[in-house]
Amino acid sequence: MWRKYLALSKAAWALIVEYRAQIVIWMMNSILMVIMLLVWLSISREGAVNGYTAADFVAYFMLGWFVRNLTAVWASWELDFAIREGRLSPMLLRPIHPIHNEIAVNWVEKLLRILIVAPIITVVLIATPGVQLNLSPLNLLAFVISVAGAWLIAFMSDYLIGMLAFWTTQTGAFIQGFYGIRLVLSGVIAPLAMFPQAVQDVLRWLPFPYMLNFSVSIAMGRVQGEAMLLGFITQWAWAAFFVIAVWVAWKIAIRNYSAVGA
Amino acid sequence: MRYVRLLALFLKSNLLMELEYRANFVAQAALGVLWAGVTFVSVTVFFTQTDALGGWTYEQTLVIVALSVLIEGGIQLLLQPNVDKIIQMVREGTMDFVLTKPVNSQFLATLRYARYSGLADMSAGVAIMLLAFIRLGYAPEPIALAQFAVMLAASFVIVYSIWLLMATLSFWFVKIDNLTELFRALFDTARFPVTTFSGLVRIALTFVLPIAFMTTFPAEAVLGKLGGATLIAAVALAGFLFAFSAWCWRRAVLSYSSASS
Repeated sequence: MWRKYLALSKAAWALIVEYRAQIVIWMMNSILMVIMLLVWLSISREGAVNGYTAADFVAYFMLGWFVRNLTAVWASWELDFAIREGRLSPMLLRPIHPIHNEIAVNWVEKLLRILIVAPIITVVLIATPGVQLNLSPLNLLAFVISVAGAWLIAFMSDYLIGMLAFWTTQTGAFIQGFYGIRLVLSGVIAPLAMFPQAVQDVLRWLPFPYMLNFSVSIAMGRVQGEAMLLGFITQWAWAAFFVIAVWVAWKIAIRNYSAVGA
Repeated sequence: MRYVRLLALFLKSNLLMELEYRANFVAQAALGVLWAGVTFVSVTVFFTQTDALGGWTYEQTLVIVALSVLIEGGIQLLLQPNVDKIIQMVREGTMDFVLTKPVNSQFLATLRYARYSGLADMSAGVAIMLLAFIRLGYAPEPIALAQFAVMLAASFVIVYSIWLLMATLSFWFVKIDNLTELFRALFDTARFPVTTFSGLVRIALTFVLPIAFMTTFPAEAVLGKLGGATLIAAVALAGFLFAFSAWCWRRAVLSYSSASS
């Protein structure tokens, strides 16, 4: 399997270097977080907001930006396109499930994103006075595991939505709708700690917080002990759910699939 | 008169096209309402922690949110489909078909297509504005309404002119899809009072990319707290940008040499 992934990754790297212009697009997707940070800073000028100082907001949005980049997915668009255009058929003939190619492309692209984003984040976090992070080795490990879980939920849920293309031609609307909901409920526009308690109590059982807010909270040292453990259990339960859902849905879809076009 | 008739024809042919793809229309309309909801929540969340943003109360800010959703809908309805088409036509060289028609090319190129699902966003915008008024228990005076009508018209003209300018650039730089994306990303600031931002950002949002003139100032008008100077500035800016973008369009068309030949 590793050798397959190495081959896929090499091809993916060539592809990504070719489509460098995409970098401009992500940078634009980041503008929303900058705007939100500016607005939060404007109201934290007079003092801490619900336990968040100005420095905490900077830390939250910088780390959030990092996690968001690492969990960015677009496999659903590719899948939707492949199904509608009938390009899925040759992929099915390969001895390897098409999802593996999407995963390889996604990982390789993450490497490029880290190279661009990590230096910016490091500089901002160092230059902002009063930023507090929990960088103990154990906590860093927890952060890494949580990001892995976040990626798995993000990728698999996205792939599941992309598979709607087997049944409908309006997959694009579902992808964008899910993206919008994720923006609000995963913590891109605001730390979830800013939401009313009742909302937070519901959210904790949904997959969304575990795609961003959970990881950032770990790095900031705001989730610990039992709460962290419960968070991890919920996160990986959702991750397992989506993996299984993709697997089952794929079996059903492929049985009924008949190609479009040539 | 001829142009009014043409416009009616365009609207009708677009409607027929839209009816052909009903599922797409429903999906896009639903998506528009959902995104209006995202915009609404992304502003409301601040007011769970504060009473005012840049000196604007929640209800007053909702008027700004409503305007940003309304304009977003207008962009979906008219500007995005036409500008996308212009970029495509320049790239493929089919712009010839627009330029050789015996009508004003700017009129034909920027008003030919419409995506009616944008009306769903616009309705959501109107609904948010009504919600704000009901919560405020406020009904605008006739003078405020008149000022609002002028400011809203200026706002739409400014947005239109900026989109026309972006389209114009496609004549020289073939790949400018990113530019319209950039506008939409920066337009996310439009849902907040411009006074929320400080220093350079506020100056840029007022004078460089005049988003303040698109949402904050029209909201001031309908709430009856607009200064006369701002009104004059908005009309002047709209007039200037419209004339300037139309001039750039003519220059661009003159320098256009088809793609294939």
